[in-house]
Amino acid sequence: MTLRWLFKKDLRELAASRAYWLLFLMLGPLVGHAFIAAVQSYAEKSGGSGAVGFTHGLNPLDGILAPTFAAYEPAVMLLLPFAAVRLLSAEKESGALTLLLQAPPSAGAMLGMKALVLLIGWIVAWIPGLIALALWNGYGGHLDAGEVANVLLGLALRGMLTIGVSLAAAALTSGTASATLLALGVTLGGWALDYTGATRGGLAHRLAAYTPEAATRVFEQGELRASTVLAVLAFSLGALAFAAVWLRPALGLRDRALSTVAAIAGTAALAAVCASTVSPRASVDVSESRRNSLPVADESALSAMHTPLRISVYLADDDPRLADLEREVLRKLERTMPDIAIHYAAKRRSGLFGQTDSLYGQVWYTLGDRRAMSRSTSEPIVLQLIYGLTGLTRPAPDDEPPYPGYPRSTTPSGAAAIFYLAWPLVAVAMWWMVRRGISRTK
Amino acid sequence: MSLSINGLSKQDGSTRALDRVSFDVRDGEVLGLFGRAGSGKRALFECLAGLRRADAGVVTDGETMIPSGRRRHSLFYIPDGITPWPDQTVGFVLQLAKNLYAAPTGKRAQVIDALQLRPLIAQRLGALSTEQRKRVLLALGLITSRSLLLLEEPFGGLDSSQTRNVSAAFRAEAARGRTLFLSSQQPGDLVSVCDRLILLANGRIVGEGTFDELRALSRLTDGTLDEVYLTLAATPPR
Repeated sequence: MTLRWLFKKDLRELAASRAYWLLFLMLGPLVGHAFIAAVQSYAEKSGGSGAVGFTHGLNPLDGILAPTFAAYEPAVMLLLPFAAVRLLSAEKESGALTLLLQAPPSAGAMLGMKALVLLIGWIVAWIPGLIALALWNGYGGHLDAGEVANVLLGLALRGMLTIGVSLAAAALTSGTASATLLALGVTLGGWALDYTGATRGGLAHRLAAYTPEAATRVFEQGELRASTVLAVLAFSLGALAFAAVWLRPALGLRDRALSTVAAIAGTAALAAVCASTVSPRASVDVSESRRNSLPVADESALSAMHTPLRISVYLADDDPRLADLEREVLRKLERTMPDIAIHYAAKRRSGLFGQTDSLYGQVWYTLGDRRAMSRSTSEPIVLQLIYGLTGLTRPAPDDEPPYPGYPRSTTPSGAAAIFYLAWPLVAVAMWWMVRRGISRTK
Repeated sequence: MSLSINGLSKQDGSTRALDRVSFDVRDGEVLGLFGRAGSGKRALFECLAGLRRADAGVVTDGETMIPSGRRRHSLFYIPDGITPWPDQTVGFVLQLAKNLYAAPTGKRAQVIDALQLRPLIAQRLGALSTEQRKRVLLALGLITSRSLLLLEEPFGGLDSSQTRNVSAAFRAEAARGRTLFLSSQQPGDLVSVCDRLILLANGRIVGEGTFDELRALSRLTDGTLDEVYLTLAATPPR
């Protein structure tokens, strides 16, 4: 009963929040711009406007779905923290929190309700993205339900993480401004680390693999990876636990410090366990093109191979060949083979042109006592090499039909009017109606 | 609810906010806490309500000690100067309080009538005047089912008519067996509504008893509460 009323109160507070309605309003034009650009670009690749298209393998996941929902990236980094922080900081500043902390529900339960309400608000803010998908469907474009669901799951998890971080920032600081700055510092810090990691090697590259942006890319690639889902959940819940510690009244400095350390250590341990012990094979390739998987016949042959495969890669972190090798070969082998270990052996972690190691560029594959080297990043060549090491012949491909690709040359008719004109009007009208409804409650 | 507070102390940086404060709160009484600004009234209420940790001291109900984490089940503290949920209507906030703090059936309507809040029900809290907001805050406290209410500056901003009204509501609550502990720096209001008074100066209690007992203690038989307070506060601690 009390939780239901906490939920109701937080829902009304979110609905009364200008920060949330600003997020809601701005997402229309943001998504619209991304969608229109994606449709035009997809049309060009499909051979529209007289241009020569390369339609083979053209897929809406990369062409429409991922670019359209990429518009939520600035929203989750820059706008959602404002709405999330406000839901707690406003109660701190107005004195409402003093009253709430004397109510029967614990601080954790109160934060849980806030997180739930914010997640619902975040999901409601997907409406422009869903309208874009409906338009694409209306243009005769193809969408795969599994790919759409996976991208949305990634977006939900990303939102949860931002909500957790924002509530933790609001619990830690005394005012809305400082809490927002702290939350933005964390979200923008993750983005900066991801950017630095992509352009430079070394530690930054390693750390960038654990940023929220990297987690989002897994979903945009059409992969549902258990370790990613669990790690994001662990960090989100950890942030809420941290916030609960800082909201608990009458906690001594020593107890608060110990509880904080316990919350941080517990979160880090849980995330590390998720990332390291959950098998890379605990992953589902939901992409229609099976882009994250080896051919079915190879999958079945290699998954039955229990001899350990050791791979030593002599490529720097910022070498584009490493990214190709990981995407085309290593990640697929990890998802398939029961016993595989990859060692990144380049002496320098960055500086493609500064490498002096004579082994640089080589990738060594060791299976039992047999070794072979290749410089290729191509899946068929590496598979052939591995079969050579096993002494087996590569199985004949199954009769699986090749991914056809879904070229679609169309114009985004009506999209500009919907996202740039109608959406802002609808958002303002909804804000006015909701606010009127709240102010009429007796 | 009767409470015994023994040796409550609180250090705020270099300031001694509470200095071995000890007194009793009797069942069904209206107890007043009088002191100048900075005397430690808020620190005392926050420590009693379990919102701040005291450095020393215990709060007991009979023989049973009540740790700070469990006091929210029997005490409720309404600070002065807050505007909770300014975007929500008075009606919703009182409904929220009723459901969150397990108010008995009919209590919300009774409190609304007692504090004459019916005309304000559909107004937003943020749009109310200081006086109206004060009445809503008092209503929030009275709606809860807690047996001891700690109310800070309950008459602050009220006009004489509303002060009489609120005083009558407090007396009616006390007659139903509820205990009220009111803190103020306005002496007149406290004398008229409270059964007993506690005088706090520089974090220590300088007097406790009925107004007449305090006058006798200060040897000012016709003195005002302010004069009594200043005399007792100037007396060196024993």
